[in-house]
Amino acid sequence: MDKTTTEVTYEKVKIIVANTEFEVPSNLTIMKAFEYLGWRLDRGVGCRGGFCGACSTIYRLKGDHKLYTGLACATKVEDGMIVAQIPISPANKKLYDIESLKAVPNTMLEFYPEIARCISCNTCTKACPMDIEVMDYVQAALRGDIALAATLSFDCIMCGLCATRCPAEITQFNVGVLARRLYGRYIQPEYKQMTKRVKEIEKGKYDAELEKLMKTDKKGLAKLYAERVREKA
Amino acid sequence: MVNDPYPDYMRESIKIVEKTREKRLKVTMDHCSPDEIDDVLNNYHPDFIKAQKASLRFGVSKGEVVPLEVAKIIETKSVLDPKKVDLNKIDFVVDLLIIGGGGAGANAALWAIKNGVKAENILIATKLRMGDSNTTMAQGGIQAAVREVDSPAIHYLDAIGGGHYENDPPLTRRLVRDAPLLLQWYEKLGMMFDKFDDGTMDAIHGGGTSRKRMHFAKDFTGAEIMKTLRDEVFNKEIPIIEFSPAVELIKDDKGQVAGAVLLNLDSKEYITVKAKATVVTTGGFGRLHIQGFPTSNHYGATFDGCVMGYRAGAPLKLMKSVQYHPTGAAFPEQIVGLLVTEKVRGKGAQVLNKNGEQFCFPLETRDVEASLIIRECGGRNNGLVTPSGQPGLWLDSPLIDQIHGEGTIAKNFAAMVRQFERFGVNMIEDPILIYPTLHYQNGGLAIDENTATAVKNLYAAGEVCGGTHGSNRLMGNSLLEISVFGRAAGITTAKSIPKVSLGKLTLDHITKYNALCDEHKVKNPPSPILFPDYSRQEHKDRIIPTNFLV
Amino acid sequence: MTEKIAYYPGCTAKSYAKYMDLTAREVMKKFDIELVELTRWTCCGTFFGLAEDNLTSQLAPMRNMIRTREDGFTDLTTTCSMCYNTLKRANILIQNDEEKASRLNAFMYEEEDYEGDVRVWHLLELLLEKVDIAGIAKKIVNPLKGLKVAPYYGCTLLRPKEVTIDKNPEKPTILSDLIFALGAEAVETPYMTECCGSYLTVKDKHLVADRTNRIIGSAARREADLLVVSCPLCQFNLDRRQKEARELNSALPEIPVVYFTQLMALALGVDVKELGFHEHYVDPTPVLRKRKLLGTPMKVPVKVKK
Repeated sequence: MDKTTTEVTYEKVKIIVANTEFEVPSNLTIMKAFEYLGWRLDRGVGCRGGFCGACSTIYRLKGDHKLYTGLACATKVEDGMIVAQIPISPANKKLYDIESLKAVPNTMLEFYPEIARCISCNTCTKACPMDIEVMDYVQAALRGDIALAATLSFDCIMCGLCATRCPAEITQFNVGVLARRLYGRYIQPEYKQMTKRVKEIEKGKYDAELEKLMKTDKKGLAKLYAERVREKA
Repeated sequence: MVNDPYPDYMRESIKIVEKTREKRLKVTMDHCSPDEIDDVLNNYHPDFIKAQKASLRFGVSKGEVVPLEVAKIIETKSVLDPKKVDLNKIDFVVDLLIIGGGGAGANAALWAIKNGVKAENILIATKLRMGDSNTTMAQGGIQAAVREVDSPAIHYLDAIGGGHYENDPPLTRRLVRDAPLLLQWYEKLGMMFDKFDDGTMDAIHGGGTSRKRMHFAKDFTGAEIMKTLRDEVFNKEIPIIEFSPAVELIKDDKGQVAGAVLLNLDSKEYITVKAKATVVTTGGFGRLHIQGFPTSNHYGATFDGCVMGYRAGAPLKLMKSVQYHPTGAAFPEQIVGLLVTEKVRGKGAQVLNKNGEQFCFPLETRDVEASLIIRECGGRNNGLVTPSGQPGLWLDSPLIDQIHGEGTIAKNFAAMVRQFERFGVNMIEDPILIYPTLHYQNGGLAIDENTATAVKNLYAAGEVCGGTHGSNRLMGNSLLEISVFGRAAGITTAKSIPKVSLGKLTLDHITKYNALCDEHKVKNPPSPILFPDYSRQEHKDRIIPTNFLV
Repeated sequence: MTEKIAYYPGCTAKSYAKYMDLTAREVMKKFDIELVELTRWTCCGTFFGLAEDNLTSQLAPMRNMIRTREDGFTDLTTTCSMCYNTLKRANILIQNDEEKASRLNAFMYEEEDYEGDVRVWHLLELLLEKVDIAGIAKKIVNPLKGLKVAPYYGCTLLRPKEVTIDKNPEKPTILSDLIFALGAEAVETPYMTECCGSYLTVKDKHLVADRTNRIIGSAARREADLLVVSCPLCQFNLDRRQKEARELNSALPEIPVVYFTQLMALALGVDVKELGFHEHYVDPTPVLRKRKLLGTPMKVPVKVKK
């Protein structure tokens, strides 16, 4: 994506980092603006596509008391923006063996009793760059509704912005991952055909056929390939 | 429209697209014939531009044809000065060193434990954070021949044909044969794949598949896999060292690989790791921006693993071939290059030129589809050009809701809708502009089906390797690759570790490689580069060198 | 036509007290009232370790009222006495203290402003208002003849007086009225409005066991067959803590503690797969069998967890 920083054809805006004003083109994301300034990043940068949660950023806008949150790779610079990054959100992840857990209402509270401290202030939701209803999934976890907590938290990229803003000091993203794993492991039904197929493979059912294909020359393979019938969409 | 993100001339073209939509709804173009495929690949695929390639002049794969950008960082000295490294003082002594904290690395660690390696005897070294990887970014899905109408053999044929018969058969066999095993393991770990009420996983087509075997977790498949694997790595308390990329491998006096030298990105000091087995899972090279293409890749995808492996004597293969994903975002500018998953076409979105016309089957294999798009733009001049000069074609995303019902896009492509929305584009109502983006490194370190390289105690898994996909990878086979070969690396090293006896540690291979560079009078900057450099020349010119390492 | 009313289940209704929730929904259907669970809801606000200043603790209940408006309702009901109490008190505060209400609204700037215009009902109150005792009695198909039921109100349905659902909080009769309507006999005790010990059950279960001993003992002396409650926490304390209570008083007989919705479901013959009696510490089925009140149309699983 960001092969080179765009040549300057856009109007400039001023951003403020560490009390210092910098002029950058208005079309850039915060991350690209840093690079435009010549900074070589090795913190607060990751996939640059909004999937990894490495570039958590907090900022304020001119004349506005609110503290905004966003991903540096997905937030455009604005004039007067005051920016700082929070590349990592410290958290004590609870350790567990997924095989020995139970998808019962109390499991969530057992591992993360601090969810009971949620005061429904909704700050986490407001902080989420993925527009997840974070408070709602924490509340779902609190009442043991694992399925709801899992589905609501599904898009979480674990950037940690919710946790850094939470007055109840909950690490929401860890609560979410536990809920999703319980849901995927114990609440979603097993894919029976897959269990069957795995047994077939382990018994060597396809070995001979694969062996034969491996020994087929390019011409023979090309013929087989051309003759394939594509299953209808 | 208030604040239309599209400039007027693009909006005009969208109006034509909207007009032709109804008529196109039931019309699908035919597949290209084998002759057409040859023609379009030869004339339009970037791999076939000879001036953009070089033959490696020295090293274990001398003569291998590689992109110029690759030659530049292979044919050069190491960033590490071997004389400065004290190998008498080892910082970490472990059984298993895994270089790279993505999906392949996590799988290798977890499967090594399952096969008897103690967690505390493993070290995962990663350049950024654990889990920062292309695995996290893979949206579309993971292939596995699970359904009754499918079989590993059909999967094999799809992969090998799609790869133009250049695949390494044992690798492709392992890929397809182990696929259901891995998908089942993921199910057991509690990953939330899209399932029907009876537990059957939803499966769709990808480019070049003859059966629907792409399993997915909305459009967060890789993220779901990586989040879960990382959680599991944390649960097992596997030692991790973050922000510490490996810069060179360490060998011993018997010619075996015996660990690596890492770089602490904060203190800039080196860290020495001695290991009985070393697995390279560093991913690919998207951030080298081959031929100036934008990329869908993670910031850390800079070819480090291949560079280190090559210097240690592990051959590279299939380096001539690069995968350009047909549909990268071409507009708005903030997200140029970002992947628009193949699933969008899988669900029915058509690729259109500026006149709202289809010009090809939308799900050809990636190399063919990309070439057709490049031809339609550059060759036939039927594309649009954005204000910043990026060519592109329409991907008619609103068709999806028209075919499958309102809400389908929002539900299936939440990540992407959000991605475009952040910059004002609504892909539910408007088509999006796309152009091929540099996506995947088809070539890489040569391995056998148990992930062993030609150098003893050196293993590799994932995109860093070459051969599994021939010269073109199918969608959904890379999440599969990091899974199958990550696991294979864990199993293989667990078996090999007890038999390893290491000799005296050395970095002589670096000294020798540097001498080869002198011999060939190379003037390229040292490597591995670790990160792409997006700073502008005017800044570079003003840098005051300090005593910081690079 | 079926009347729809916004329904707030409360956290325990999703776990420990799920049979209170399930039976409440089914019972209301008998009276053509559909309980529509709020699309989104949070804890009622009673369970905060953090919120010491009383304004912060109003955020949660107030947000649930906002959700009620979002879902297009003007009335909100709940079966849990504790939730009822918290929601109702927050609502009264918002209605009467403009300054606090505006501060709360300002804090929740992302939500629509809320001015206290949702009516909060306890389900018992709603039943008596919308259906009335005679209306309930009319629908009984399985009269609980001969069953001696001790009503237990606890605190939160009655106190403070602003939220009470009974005209006479010192000597309430609502539950007794309901018990009569179901065809059973009400056995009132002097302990029926005493506190069960509430959340102290977590910190000091022996204190709660002492309360349980008195409350259950008093019902036993009056030969009650079971206790009826409207609150999951009361149910938990009076049912589960009988084990510890028996350590204080080995002569204490086992008396089951059921929700009024379970009792109503039994009397109304609602089509529920199970009433949840197998989840109780003291199993109500023996006494119900003794009174010949079990049989069709209910299936009651025999599995008892102890």
